[in-house]
Amino acid sequence: MTGDYVLDGLAVPDSLDLLHDLLEQVGVEHPELAASDLMLFETAVIEVAGNVVEHGKPPGEVRWQFRLAVRPDRLEGTLSDSGEEYPGGAWGTDMPDLMDEDGRGLALATAVLESLVYQRSGEVNEWTMVRALS
Amino acid sequence: MAEDTRTAVLQPTGRLNMVAAPALKSLIEESVAEGRDRVVVDFSDVVFIDSSGLGALIAGLKCTRQAGGDLRIAQVPEQVMTVLRLTNLDRVLRAHPTVADASHDW
Repeated sequence: MTGDYVLDGLAVPDSLDLLHDLLEQVGVEHPELAASDLMLFETAVIEVAGNVVEHGKPPGEVRWQFRLAVRPDRLEGTLSDSGEEYPGGAWGTDMPDLMDEDGRGLALATAVLESLVYQRSGEVNEWTMVRALS
Repeated sequence: MAEDTRTAVLQPTGRLNMVAAPALKSLIEESVAEGRDRVVVDFSDVVFIDSSGLGALIAGLKCTRQAGGDLRIAQVPEQVMTVLRLTNLDRVLRAHPTVADASHDW
């Protein structure tokens, strides 16, 4: 079974719950998805979205659109945001030291995805996340 | 047995993300400031954690240890356990099956 979903909003902390809710809805509408696939995909989406909330400029004014495609072999999410372009090499995918309090977000997202790609496309930033289904 | 005045059990609920993490961090710091430097975080009502939540746990771990105590976690659900493993934090935050298990032999 396939399905497509779209969510628009402001990239602020409270919007993260709307993403969680959307992914919960996906789980209900696609019982064929393994709970672990959806759980790890949700983990990645929230990390990428959290990164936009935290680093998107100007703060509090960035809008985003999340598009999700459920396909027989994969979950593919694209988060587009209206913020300024992120500087090259803006994120680290190496896990930080154990006692560091931050810097794990995109490393964690990378660990649970087949691919995580960032690109500047016209006036928007685009984060594409793919998880191959087990 | 003497009353245990050094142990606090904290029970966050729902999603431990960038909205909720600062409050957990503050609660742990307040607990330590009140002399309860042995903190058990009960995860039985947590459904999701992100890297902000992990950051709050690490901050709590450092804060309790600096005071001579420690921070432990109990009743950890699958998503949290998976995230701890993926970030290698299971090496410093061992999951205890119950709050009671986590609350003795400090």
